[in-house]
Amino acid sequence: MKILVIEDDRKIAQALKKGLESERYEVDAASTGSEGEALAAGRAFDLIVLDLMLPGRDGLEILAAVRGRRDTTPVIILTAKDTIEDRVVGLDAGADDYLVKPFAFPELSARIRALLRRGAGGTAGPLAKLELADLEMDAARREAARGGRPLALTPREFDLLEYLLRNQGRVVTREMLAADVWKETRRATPLDNVIDVHIARLRKKIDEPFAVRLLHTVRGVGFILRGESA
Amino acid sequence: MKRPASSVRLRLTLWYTLALALIILAFSLAVFLFVKDRLFRQFDRGMTREFAAVAAEVAEDAGDFRDIESQIAPSLFEVFRGGAPVFRSASFRKAGLPESAGVPAAGIRTVRSRRGERFRLLAGPVKNDRFLVVAQEEESVWHILHTLLAILSLALPAALILAALGGYVLAGRLLAPVGAMARQAEKIGAESLSERLPVKNPDDEFGKLAAAFNQTLARLEAAFGRLQRFTADASHELRTPLSALRSVGEVALQEDLDVAAYRDRIGSMLEETSRLTSLVESLLVLTRADSGRLPMNRKPADIGALVGKAVEDLRVLAEERSQNLTSDLPGGVEIPVDADLLRQAVVNVLDNAIKFTPAGGAIAVALTDRPGVVGIEVRDGGPGIPEADRDKIFERFYRVEKDRPRDAGGAGLGLAIAKWAVEANGGRIEVESRAGRGSTFRIVLPKCNIRKKEST
Repeated sequence: MKILVIEDDRKIAQALKKGLESERYEVDAASTGSEGEALAAGRAFDLIVLDLMLPGRDGLEILAAVRGRRDTTPVIILTAKDTIEDRVVGLDAGADDYLVKPFAFPELSARIRALLRRGAGGTAGPLAKLELADLEMDAARREAARGGRPLALTPREFDLLEYLLRNQGRVVTREMLAADVWKETRRATPLDNVIDVHIARLRKKIDEPFAVRLLHTVRGVGFILRGESA
Repeated sequence: MKRPASSVRLRLTLWYTLALALIILAFSLAVFLFVKDRLFRQFDRGMTREFAAVAAEVAEDAGDFRDIESQIAPSLFEVFRGGAPVFRSASFRKAGLPESAGVPAAGIRTVRSRRGERFRLLAGPVKNDRFLVVAQEEESVWHILHTLLAILSLALPAALILAALGGYVLAGRLLAPVGAMARQAEKIGAESLSERLPVKNPDDEFGKLAAAFNQTLARLEAAFGRLQRFTADASHELRTPLSALRSVGEVALQEDLDVAAYRDRIGSMLEETSRLTSLVESLLVLTRADSGRLPMNRKPADIGALVGKAVEDLRVLAEERSQNLTSDLPGGVEIPVDADLLRQAVVNVLDNAIKFTPAGGAIAVALTDRPGVVGIEVRDGGPGIPEADRDKIFERFYRVEKDRPRDAGGAGLGLAIAKWAVEANGGRIEVESRAGRGSTFRIVLPKCNIRKKEST
């Protein structure tokens, strides 16, 4: 899987390159608009991460050029502009997703996965049966059990666990949880404490009675559900 | 600034002069016509008297009218008998008056002599089948009238010039305060917003203008002050996580740590980054609110359900603190609001209530449906807000307890955002509080939600 990162800030570009490479993507990075456009025209990429404010050539122009070639490579826009109009302009120009700076790397990674899945034709739908080690979940029947013992979860805790299970082995941030589990659209709404409490309660139910811990906190980033070996 | 004022001055003077010219012209015309009418009446009365005197003589006279000519001083007359002229006085003939062969029409009229002089003729029948025409030169009347005309046509421009000059000076004096205000206003910049325009007479138009301008200046000054305070507070608030970020990083680099410890330090730095991010996020919301650039998306929403969701979302926080969070939210109260914005306001107010209510305390949320308005009440079991702070709690970065530790998200922006979010929805937010008895925050929303301002 080849990803092109067009980002003029060297630090961000390097961090993205390293981060994505550690997730086994092949990454080309361009630091100016013209360089990025040339790279995008030259080789086939599976996905493009595109900063909007670039020296030389504006991100939207590059996007227009890519789409002008009837190139349907998925494009994720990264930008510090976050008004609804900016989003609309970006998406109208042919972007597939939109991430506002400062963004959390796990979130970018999750969105890249989602886009690549969609590009690959996608699965028939989300799996109904999820599992991790001895933790099992039937999302359709909304039942979960660990070590064969059913877990008594509130609806919210269930949604939270389902989200963590679907992203098992990967860090999910509070922002991702607020947006995807709590469906909170406004980033300034204070839900961090609420999320922390739910995580603590979930941990009490799925981890405390058992020897092996599955739900871990990654300080400063978010949470991860993983088995011992992962 | 000088030119528009002087052009107003010029325009004022011109209009004034023009109006005055028309008035003087009309007046002069009226005077002239009146005087002319009066003079001719007088003249005609004199002629009537003369006619009577001559007529008396002519009626008596046997046939030779010469002695009448010598007896009576103004002796321009002609006599007709039997339809034909029988006598014309020498002066009549000398004057060059038209000499008709037949009897002229009776009455008084003006004719011109051969030399072009104007004469008044009075003709009428006299006893013994005689017909008398008496003439008199009008020049004495016209002389007066011409003199009057000369006086008027000299006086009119003179008066106009004087009036124009006077008007120009007067307009200048009247407009002087405007010029002074303009010069003063030019000097007032961002650094000298505390200066005011001088108000000489608060009751006249200029005084009112200056007062209005001063009020604008006062509002500007206040807004500017708020902005400066806000910027200072914002930099301060940004500095705190930044310095934490910096010192944690610097200290970590100085030490030789194992991987786990480094991870911990990096995590700590990322925590500060989150704090910075949410702070910047809140600041952006408020900045957009100030510029009115946040688009509103209003749709009818069930307010009870909306508040209920916020309550359920935050319930865990209250449970963690063993607080008793109760709610009384009747359904079916639907008004058009931007649900996301209002939800944020409710969450912020509720979050605040949970933060300030001690463990084990009670928080009650209620929805009141009154005619015209819907109220969302959040009553907390906190320490209450001192009277002096009650208005300030909605200000940005304001904290009642200055020494309260800053926990995550506690930058003092929550209520400011709540206030804006409620006002953007056309409502208002109030607080009631008694020391030691808790506070009640009330969000009041109008039912027929008229947009206060359309944000773009």
